[in-house]
Amino acid sequence: MDIFAQLVLGALNGLVWGLILALIALGLTLVFGLLEIINISHGELYMLGAVLGWYVLQFTGNFWVALVLAPLAVGVLGLVIERGVLRPIEGKPIITIIATFGLSLIFQQGALSVFGGAPQRIPAPFEWNLTILGFGYSGYRFFVALCSIVAISALWGFLRRFKYGMWMRAVRQDREMALALGIPISRVYMLTFGLGSGLAALGGILAAPIVALEFRMGLDILPAVFIVVIIGGLGSLEGSLLAALLIGELEGLTSVFVTPTTARIFSLVFMSAVLLFRPEGLLGRRR
Amino acid sequence: MAGRIVAFWAAVAVLVVLPLALTPYQLSVAAEIMIWGLFAMAFDLLYGYTGMLSFGQAIFFGAGGYGTAFAVLRLDWGIWEALAFGLLVAAAFALAVGFFAVRVSGHYFLILTITFSVITVLVLQSGHWRWLSRGYVASPFTPPLVPLGPWRISLIDPLANYYWVLAFVVVSFLVCWRIVNSPLGKVFRGIRENEERSRLIGYHVERFKLIAFVLGGLFSGLAGALLALTLRYVDISYFELTLSGKAVAWTVIGGAGTLVGAFLGALVFIVSTDYLSAWTINVPLSIGLLLVVVVALAPDGLIGVVRGKRR
Repeated sequence: MDIFAQLVLGALNGLVWGLILALIALGLTLVFGLLEIINISHGELYMLGAVLGWYVLQFTGNFWVALVLAPLAVGVLGLVIERGVLRPIEGKPIITIIATFGLSLIFQQGALSVFGGAPQRIPAPFEWNLTILGFGYSGYRFFVALCSIVAISALWGFLRRFKYGMWMRAVRQDREMALALGIPISRVYMLTFGLGSGLAALGGILAAPIVALEFRMGLDILPAVFIVVIIGGLGSLEGSLLAALLIGELEGLTSVFVTPTTARIFSLVFMSAVLLFRPEGLLGRRR
Repeated sequence: MAGRIVAFWAAVAVLVVLPLALTPYQLSVAAEIMIWGLFAMAFDLLYGYTGMLSFGQAIFFGAGGYGTAFAVLRLDWGIWEALAFGLLVAAAFALAVGFFAVRVSGHYFLILTITFSVITVLVLQSGHWRWLSRGYVASPFTPPLVPLGPWRISLIDPLANYYWVLAFVVVSFLVCWRIVNSPLGKVFRGIRENEERSRLIGYHVERFKLIAFVLGGLFSGLAGALLALTLRYVDISYFELTLSGKAVAWTVIGGAGTLVGAFLGALVFIVSTDYLSAWTINVPLSIGLLLVVVVALAPDGLIGVVRGKRR
């Protein structure tokens, strides 16, 4: 295979990976922007999306049902977490972080004892390959890209056009003022956390046919997502999207030449450089 | 103050005579609890006194453990040289991570330390590093004998290891106690209370944060080295994010910014998870459950509960 074709395929892989990362990172950033919580269990919600999808697939045999049900279920779980665990300790950031760490242990070990330690695979829902420069390329990856773009556009539309979306932006901008205007802040928080969880799970079920499915997969994605939100600027949705695509391409292109682990180190170096020269992130507000 | 000094030496005296009442197995558990307390205290130095919520202490814990084991296994060094090498490796790692981490604070700092920590595990697990780390496959080794006067003491004996660990823990506690009550410790606390104001007063905040970070890394590395010598093996679990999380949990639950709280938290947690896991729940799961419950019930930590009642 000549180097040009490899680079093109690497760039395509990077784009798909970047879009999946964007879904997950947007969930994290959305939650941070409103609740000022770094959710350490976010990677586990991504894992739960994939694992629940696997179970739905076992019962129904239909990937499309799994694609809808898994994010919904994890979204509802997110609502429950916000209401049951996070709200009683609202306003105590450190305690909240420790609680989300506790949750991540619970989900990880819960998945280990129910799902088992052995990696599983979800087959792609359709066998359809494109030919690019004479090489077959999985059509499912294109579907993933398309799905992610639709979901991200839908999120943007939701935040611009719908009542709850606009309330979310209002609370983000000025909590006190939003409260004064009678916006039900608690409900907005709950919905935001549910939405963020659902986005992570959507990323999980979409990625499931591409990656190995196991209880530790949340830990694999967590550094990439954190690198993305730091590079993009904490709390900046546009920044997260941009950074996710950048990191996806960086890892996709470098993976042509080096191992994925080394590619991850490149991302880490990139993040460190951003921190040195622009600590607030690419699109973050100057603090 | 005088009361606390008396309490400290009384606690040490109890720990010195405690082996009379313990079985060899309980002795090794007690040694491990002291090691984990030391690890949590190193975190307390960062978080409780300097306000840096680091979720990356396992990097330095692992570096200390791996460094010591490497010096024993591959270089065939004696105990003191191996220990010094482990601490040096841990400090070097802390310096490298700290160089970037101290430039940011708050949530950025937290995310940065988690990222470095998880990537360290990814790297050490990957094939390129087979010569150093065999991933989750343990690398066993025999601790070198400790020369003490005319004797050569083997750390394989649980009693000898218990006193060996106790000596390090007591000395480390005194050193940390001295640090946090020195002018340097006051600067640390100033940074914890208000970073901006400390900067405006004229302190080079990044430099002091780096000093605290490397100190924390050193004591974490010491804990890692002691655990490696106690368990007589190292594997990648020394680097896991879960360890850093445990240090955070023990410290916050015991009471942050007290040094003693770290040991208290480790003791209460390890004993209670030991009981819980006997009921067939797995250990990390019970830790997670305990965390969520305790954090909801006693947000100020156990020391906070005790002191709150006194008031």
